[in-house]
Amino acid sequence: MKRLHSRHWVFLGLLVVITAAMLLRVPMQLRTSPETQRMFDYLDQLPEGSVILVSFDHEASSLPEIRPIAEALLRHAFERDHKLIGMALLAEGTVIGYRLMEQVAEEYAREYGEDYVYLGFKPQFIAAILSMGESIPATFPEDYLGSPYATLPLAQKVSSYDDVAGVLSITDGSLTTHWIEYGGARYNLRVMAGVTAAMVTTYDPYVSSGQMHAMIGGLRGAAEYEQLIDVGGGGLRGMLAQSTAHLYILLLVIIGNVLYWREKKNKAGKR
Amino acid sequence: MDIGTIIAGVLTLAILTFLYRDNPIYKFAESLLIGVSIGYTLVIVWSTTLMDILFRPLLNAGQLALVVPLVLGLLMFSRFHPRTASLSRLPIAVMIGSGAGVAIPVMLEARTLRQMTATVGPLVSDGTFDFSVLVVLVGVLTTLSYFYFSREHEGFFGRVSKVGTYFLMIFFGTTFGYTVMSRMSTFIGRMEFLLTDFLHITK
Repeated sequence: MKRLHSRHWVFLGLLVVITAAMLLRVPMQLRTSPETQRMFDYLDQLPEGSVILVSFDHEASSLPEIRPIAEALLRHAFERDHKLIGMALLAEGTVIGYRLMEQVAEEYAREYGEDYVYLGFKPQFIAAILSMGESIPATFPEDYLGSPYATLPLAQKVSSYDDVAGVLSITDGSLTTHWIEYGGARYNLRVMAGVTAAMVTTYDPYVSSGQMHAMIGGLRGAAEYEQLIDVGGGGLRGMLAQSTAHLYILLLVIIGNVLYWREKKNKAGKR
Repeated sequence: MDIGTIIAGVLTLAILTFLYRDNPIYKFAESLLIGVSIGYTLVIVWSTTLMDILFRPLLNAGQLALVVPLVLGLLMFSRFHPRTASLSRLPIAVMIGSGAGVAIPVMLEARTLRQMTATVGPLVSDGTFDFSVLVVLVGVLTTLSYFYFSREHEGFFGRVSKVGTYFLMIFFGTTFGYTVMSRMSTFIGRMEFLLTDFLHITK
């Protein structure tokens, strides 16, 4: 036990707190933020059959946070009978995006080619975004599975950004800014995003300025969205653990400060 | 339990051993993650970039114009020898020139003009005073004054720039809070996987 330092006790405490919260599974009622509500309203009010571009612009390491966000948005889109075109601007997001779309499409009995297609990865994100503004079939001559673009019934209706309602970028980094700057500013493409919590402050100015139409952020955003669509998922399941972990960290901050002030006072007393 | 879940579970636990201290099990899992990520990216880039965009159209469809990017790309490797290194400036010049040409007008529009427009919104709209617009305006002006180094930060100017530092601290605090939240979410996601899929303790 001598080899355990204070940080180990902090980690162990966090492990206990999170495990206990996950075992309890107490349902939580969340207040929906205006940003999440805006995203929900937009997807909900879009006419049935609208085509939405979904770009998986993230790495594999952020999957635990990205997955609930993507699942909630895909579920709502498929439930509203929108048509989805998936793609990825980061290589690692390619197969994750495909599997997520395939899994959610199966839940809602949506058919590949008719209700959704997956175009796969395109390198050089700026060039890819600009090229798609001119012609999506020329940018992606084949889909992820190797079928020619023209043979896919859904893809036949879409030739450029003019034929899509907007792009939904699922990201853990700054790639969505390129959708805003090149797709939005140059081609008037409506940009929405599902982002990890760490990226919320990066994208807030774009939401405030209207350059980004809507955004849901982090596990909390996913949980709010799951509540709105009334389908449970990783967001709501993780919220109790998230809140408990935050309380635990707050407690540690308070304890740390009390110890710091006590030590300072003791030193001052000795002088 | 399928083999994928077992491997993922064992590797997750191997990574978590770092919380105790750096060790060979963690090193192995970390190296495996980096190796697999690079290998996967290389395969994807090879098949979707070099094969789909360059070699197939060039060799199968005879698109001879693609010789230009091929040669420019190969010139990048000239950096490896001191005598030929200067040749690599050519593709770099093309990249920087085209990149800047595409980016400058877009950046000016999206990052500067649109953001400035959003900053100077009307303080009173429909007869109602918008406090948030005032906060944004004061925040931007005081923060900018903090980064103005051509004048000593003292007197009235010093007090204004001091207010700017408070706005900066609020921003850093918010960003740090969100980052902690993000990392916690990642940990919770892995814990859910361990407890549900790997150990079957929860459903």
